[in-house]
Amino acid sequence: MFVEVVAPAPGSPPPRAARPPLGRRVVAGAQPYLYLAPALALLGVWTYRPLAQTVQLSFYSWNLLPSTPMTPVGLRNYQRLIDLPDLGQAAVRTVVVIVGLLPFSVVIPVLVGLVTRQVRDRARVVYQAMVFAPTLVAPVASAAVWQWLLDPGAGVVNKVLGTRLNWLHETGSAQFAIIVITGWSVLGFATLVVSAGLAGINGDYGEAAQLDGASRGQITRWITLPLLSPTLVFLVLMTVLLSAQWTFPLIDTLTQGGPARATTNVYYLLWDYSFHSYDAGLGAAAGVLLFAAFGLVAAGLVRLSERLSFHDD
Amino acid sequence: MTRPRTRAGIALALGLALATSGCGLGSTEARQTPAAARVPELGPDQKVSIVFESYNFGQAGAWTDTFNELIGKFRQAHPNITVTAQKPQGNSANPATDTIPSVQSQLAAGNPPDVAQLGFSDLDFTVHQLGAKPLDDLVGRDAVQANFAGAKHPYAASARTLGDWDGRTYGVPFVFSTPVLYFNASLFQQSGLDPANPPKTWAEVGAAAAKIKAATGKDGAYLDCLTKEAKDWCFQSLVRSNGGRVLSADRKSLTFADEPAVEVVRLAQDLVKSGVSPKLAQKQGYEAFARGDIGMILETSAVQATFVKGAQGKWDLRSTTMPSFAGKPVVPTNSGASLFVFAGDPAKQRAAWELIRFLTSETAYVTISSKIGYLPLRTGLVDDPDGLKEWAAKNPLVRPNLDQLAHMEPWVSFPGANYLQIRDGMMDAVENAVYQGADPQATLSAARDRAASLVPGGVR
Repeated sequence: MFVEVVAPAPGSPPPRAARPPLGRRVVAGAQPYLYLAPALALLGVWTYRPLAQTVQLSFYSWNLLPSTPMTPVGLRNYQRLIDLPDLGQAAVRTVVVIVGLLPFSVVIPVLVGLVTRQVRDRARVVYQAMVFAPTLVAPVASAAVWQWLLDPGAGVVNKVLGTRLNWLHETGSAQFAIIVITGWSVLGFATLVVSAGLAGINGDYGEAAQLDGASRGQITRWITLPLLSPTLVFLVLMTVLLSAQWTFPLIDTLTQGGPARATTNVYYLLWDYSFHSYDAGLGAAAGVLLFAAFGLVAAGLVRLSERLSFHDD
Repeated sequence: MTRPRTRAGIALALGLALATSGCGLGSTEARQTPAAARVPELGPDQKVSIVFESYNFGQAGAWTDTFNELIGKFRQAHPNITVTAQKPQGNSANPATDTIPSVQSQLAAGNPPDVAQLGFSDLDFTVHQLGAKPLDDLVGRDAVQANFAGAKHPYAASARTLGDWDGRTYGVPFVFSTPVLYFNASLFQQSGLDPANPPKTWAEVGAAAAKIKAATGKDGAYLDCLTKEAKDWCFQSLVRSNGGRVLSADRKSLTFADEPAVEVVRLAQDLVKSGVSPKLAQKQGYEAFARGDIGMILETSAVQATFVKGAQGKWDLRSTTMPSFAGKPVVPTNSGASLFVFAGDPAKQRAAWELIRFLTSETAYVTISSKIGYLPLRTGLVDDPDGLKEWAAKNPLVRPNLDQLAHMEPWVSFPGANYLQIRDGMMDAVENAVYQGADPQATLSAARDRAASLVPGGVR
């Protein structure tokens, strides 16, 4: 059955609202920016201004004392950084730490997340709380406990392994210990992120594939992991950009960058220059170089994630 | 309706003001600090409050208790002066390493502690960069010297000038030790060594350590002088005792890669390589000795209380003077700290001086030595029946320190704003060679070459 509808008369323009006065239009246009202004101002004050000051400071020699003048030294701080082997060695160690942490922040969490998908209800909550617990322990407190565990004489680790190794004071094992302890503390956080990522995947895909005869391994390989890729890229990004910061409190408490600088990564070096040796200019120059390097790495990773990630749109 | 909004507005404005006012960089123009003028005595009713910063307040147990007791006594003696005691800002395991950054950040905020206890290794920096007030100008050279002379017992001659720079007194030496060889007499006996006749030279130390290792399976000897954490006071003593220096007498060139220093490092490396000296960090080292797991340790008396506590009822703790390098005289150096004045206000400066006088008085040293075990810098006290005679008779552990005070030389601070980079670079190299097996000469030379440009007015 059809109902006849009167067609609009051709030629008559659609009704239009009257143009508001210019003043009000400016106010209306500015409104979103006004809402944003406080956030932008704080961002500028807390992030971009210090950044600009760091760049400025990197061309001076200054020991952070208000009574001491800042002496302009041009590019000498950068020259010193390049001449000294410290920065290059620290950068290599930073890469070692990042690579060493990837299993803890990506591989193990994914395995654990996949295996424990079947855990349900209250057991799930309890299990997640237990996995997350190490992340909640203050790093300095856990460092103190690990120091006892790793003690060469009375430490539990040596007793269990039957070794007599002074873990934190041998060049070989110190870095390894720092990586494992850091990994232990970030594992819970990463596992939680992976669980959240898995929970966000629509179960329909898996069920459909199962109906078509796909095995569980095939579902994991061809459906779950691709859908999880944004989460994985996020974790890799976090590890690359933050691992040097995650390790910092542990290094500061356990090894102070030693033995023989074996655990001095770029962040610790930067801190050491600025706040231990009071060479603020050198520290700032190292900071600027780092900022540039990590900026490039981050940009690369973000682009990679755009291309690699499979979005469930 | 408007009120919360106004408040939020005020909070935002305050936040912004705070955010934008602080965190500026320094000035590029040199600032002239005015010479400190003589400060008047306090009036009879003049109330002053001062802040005293000491790392001893960050060390639990005997240290904190003793210092609180002293401050309490000072309040009784000077009711008009209120002293607020504080530990350095920071969270290092060893609060003594936080002292300079703490004073520095408070200076940056324009509010330094009025009196601060700072190490001798920081002396050059404290005088030239932090701007400690010259006491000779504040209260007059006579008053400073009168305090050193004391009411009854003067300061040991070698201790008086440790806080001086170019003949002027900036700091009053307060607590320090010289390197003392503590040894476990029980382990000595078990190994067939005579505890009444402890090693006198480093060669003898090596032999005794090997015997202990062979007989008991415990470690032989640990020198708390060879890591970055230990700083360089005791390494300087080893190098001086071997006829060398780490810094030339004119403070212009670094000499820690010269033969005497390299020899010291090589000897220490041999002790570690041969297995008679354990590969331990500073704290692990003295804790292991306190547990009775090491035969000998070269150490400051600052940790003597730990040893006494660990040894009590378990093993026999004894001490002797620092061993020598065969045929060369032992040159002990001092660890420790002086008291400096940073107050800007004349009344506070006077009150600060009163506090320093009190803390370095005979009565204060009686308390400090008997409660903590630290060396009384007014050495006469140990022979005074009203002072520490009885205590010294009961505590023979203090003897080596008293004997070494006579021929002690000061712990030399490295020059310039980057003094810590020089010191830590040197100690990094020492640690790397001794405990990680790097070549002593090559490592020390490399450290010297890298640090040479940091010495003001130095030549490469």
